[in-house]
Amino acid sequence: MTETLERRPTVGEERGGQERTSLIGTSAARKEDDRLLRGDGRFTDDVDPLHVLEMAVGRSPYPHARIVSIDVSAALEFEGVRQILVGADVRRMSAPLTVLRPVPGAPKLPYYALAQDVVRYEGEPVVSVVATSRAIAEDALELIDIEYEPIPHVSDVIDAQDPEAPQIHPDLVEGNLMVVNPEGTGDPEARIRSADVVVSGRFRINRVTGLPMETRAIVAEWRPGARELTVHSSTQVPHLVRKQLAEVLGLAESDIRAVASDLGGAYGLKLGIYPEDVLACLHAMALRRPVKWVEDRMEFFRATTHAREATHDYRIAARSDGRIVAITNTYATDMGGWNSGFGSAQLSSVVFTGPYKVSDGYVERRVVLTNKTPIGAYRGYGQPEVNFACERLIDQLARKLGLDPLDVRAANMLRPEDLPWRNPAGAVYDSGDYERCLRMAAEAIGYDAHRAAGRGPRADGRYVGIGLSSFVERTGYASARFLANRGSQYGAHESVTLRANRSGGIDLYTGVSTMGQSSETAFAQIVADVFGCDYDAVKVHAGDTAASPLNTGAFASRTLIAASGALKEASEKLRDKTLRLAAYCLEAPAEDVEIAGAVVRRRDTGASVTLAEVFSRAITGQGIPPEEEPGLESTSHFEPTDAAYSFGTAAALVSVDPETGDFDVERFVMVHDCGVAVNPKIVEGQVRGALVQGLGAALGEELRYDAETGQLVNGTMMDYFAPAAPDVPPIELLHTEVPSPVTTFGVRGVGEVGTIPPAAAIANGICDALADFGVELHTMPLTPEVVWRALQEASR
Amino acid sequence: MADEVAVTVTINGETVTDRVPARMHAADFLRHRLGLTGTHVGCEQGVCGMCTVLVNGEAVKSCLMFAAQLDGCAVETVESLATGDQLNPLQQAFKDEHGLQCGFCTPGFLMTATALARRGQRLCAAEIREEIAGVLCRCTGYDGIVKAIARHLDETAV
Repeated sequence: MTETLERRPTVGEERGGQERTSLIGTSAARKEDDRLLRGDGRFTDDVDPLHVLEMAVGRSPYPHARIVSIDVSAALEFEGVRQILVGADVRRMSAPLTVLRPVPGAPKLPYYALAQDVVRYEGEPVVSVVATSRAIAEDALELIDIEYEPIPHVSDVIDAQDPEAPQIHPDLVEGNLMVVNPEGTGDPEARIRSADVVVSGRFRINRVTGLPMETRAIVAEWRPGARELTVHSSTQVPHLVRKQLAEVLGLAESDIRAVASDLGGAYGLKLGIYPEDVLACLHAMALRRPVKWVEDRMEFFRATTHAREATHDYRIAARSDGRIVAITNTYATDMGGWNSGFGSAQLSSVVFTGPYKVSDGYVERRVVLTNKTPIGAYRGYGQPEVNFACERLIDQLARKLGLDPLDVRAANMLRPEDLPWRNPAGAVYDSGDYERCLRMAAEAIGYDAHRAAGRGPRADGRYVGIGLSSFVERTGYASARFLANRGSQYGAHESVTLRANRSGGIDLYTGVSTMGQSSETAFAQIVADVFGCDYDAVKVHAGDTAASPLNTGAFASRTLIAASGALKEASEKLRDKTLRLAAYCLEAPAEDVEIAGAVVRRRDTGASVTLAEVFSRAITGQGIPPEEEPGLESTSHFEPTDAAYSFGTAAALVSVDPETGDFDVERFVMVHDCGVAVNPKIVEGQVRGALVQGLGAALGEELRYDAETGQLVNGTMMDYFAPAAPDVPPIELLHTEVPSPVTTFGVRGVGEVGTIPPAAAIANGICDALADFGVELHTMPLTPEVVWRALQEASR
Repeated sequence: MADEVAVTVTINGETVTDRVPARMHAADFLRHRLGLTGTHVGCEQGVCGMCTVLVNGEAVKSCLMFAAQLDGCAVETVESLATGDQLNPLQQAFKDEHGLQCGFCTPGFLMTATALARRGQRLCAAEIREEIAGVLCRCTGYDGIVKAIARHLDETAV
């Protein structure tokens, strides 16, 4: 069930020239579908160059150990083995991996593609083998003799901050604490001292993986005479991969072509290079043969960045009427053993006060090292974590004051007229109607009827509760300057090149790779809409650095926010020249001709010329006005004026068996606003898909480490439970549409939002159901065992 | 390890004879020997279902079979579904219902649903969800997939 309500803005003004035209706002058929439905996608492992060799990587079995010796002699003798690299080789041949999004204020932790003297997590690459087949390379790994001397390790973020804890980077970081990042405004401590009520809690967020169905993969080919390294990579950021590989391999960017065609999911895990990318290139360059590495699923669970793990100490102070006067949040994010390309999540701070009008706030981010797989970006990037803490505690506050959680939310929410609003972390919420989403969610889930029904068990003995979770989500980036202040190695803009061709079509070149987000479709819709041609006439060529303008990439729910401006500008430039050339051809003033599908026609006489004819004239320079240059293409770069903040409320109806802790999410409602939806069907798909990832993390997904051995204990597909089709509760989606004033067309990002509210909404539903038992939940994932233990605890 | 086995397989209606390493699994054979890269590999332990193909009409996970076990079998892959540029009705239903995003799992669902449709039965959404539980999708949340399959089963029920 999808409804789009009130297409007009409730606040702010629409900017000039933004009137809705034919294609923007329609569910156009996806450009990507036909090839993917027919098995004609091109994923990285589908690229099989002649004479390709394959790589396998040997990994540390210990969470923390000194490497005493490595003996590769037997493996080198093995038939089919072509090359073996160890840490010392890599140190000689390459530089440490560069970080795209450093932790502000933290020391650098330079790390090479293979471990040097010490390994810092189970799964860290130690040796790489290239052979005539993957099977032979893996056989050879078995013959490599590595002697380790285990040293004490630490797995937990709180334990790691203990002064007695094993030190993970003792030369660079003291006490395993990489940095403390404080932000805030006002005087929250004074407000807390004088508040009527203060609630606080420690909330533990589980370590999970985004689990794309396609693992990481790379094919590297080197032609030394041409100085050309061609890299096919499953990456969200081909231009940034090119930059990083140039830095690490000591090449010029012009020596590298990175190609990302189809990606089998990414969700933030495929941002920038990993050690294996460097290794495949080093082997390919040394051997002058193509080298392929496809991560197997066992490797994936250890070698691709994990996500989320954090402990939030969250505190809310309020008046007795429920009005919040201050919020503080001190949290430790787990970085794992190294600083990955995007490091640990940074957005828990940015939106820590949620949609609430709070001026006195303080947030402190403590970035902690542990002996575990490095943490990286994952859909939401800190926002699901802090939402769990904030929204759980809002309910506790309401219960403590004897108020309704819905009323407490409504009383504290920013109103449309409060926006734009700078929150205590400095984020500027652009526009929106937060309370409307809350009310719509409550109505859809049957909130009033539930409250009116009173407490007590249902006929089947189960207790029923409703939980709410409201949120504001940052999508996109404030500006290039904002990123520069944080040391980020990329910009806030997006770019596009449009080129007319003699068939009458427009080729669209973008560095945004295709990973399921439907950017090919949305981009083509905007170009066809603004230019005025048929949707089918636009062909998107994505993800090849040799064929696309330099850009930023597909992450942070930012692609369309920035790209829509570039697409609009480039389309207008192309359209204006097309009209001039066609007018010359039709012997009319340019303002009297218009593009209509595949032709340009005179408005007065109806005389027309085909786009194919106009484009051919432009390309040859034959039959164009003397003052015009030949050629017909345009490139535009665009940076939006600020980040855009999506928002909404989720509601979960949950039934619980108080004997066993077993619970069911019987209904789940999501009301969401991402501004103007370019393609409503795609928007629904993005929200729904991310919700199911959020539900997975809420209800069972967790990468568990054994504290004693430091081993990942469930790192296989058999042991990590991502939702299958029968596991998904019924989901109802509702949308509002308040255009954002900071983006072209009024769009906001939509790719990540679904991950944010599920855990808090469900936990609040369980706690509502069990309110008479005094249960409050603070730990993710939410399982019957967790609920049962909380019931036991509460009854003591 | 260098042991090779002769196999004769009918793939999408065409008979193929080859010699394959004894330890090569069927998905690798389809992908890297025959170039049928529409069949994907996601876990190599029979959980994710990316590699689902039809062997003698039954949906199986081809990462759990050796290529050698295909000897004498008829195999159907995603490449067999469309005719020329024309998507078949199941593929069209996936397209209409937004049953795919990144598309990596799509061949697995299409082949699972192809086998399902040959039973000629209508199924309710909950039954469809159980039937496709052996294939994972991380993008869509399954809703479009279930709708597409339901529509196709309605169209093909006897």
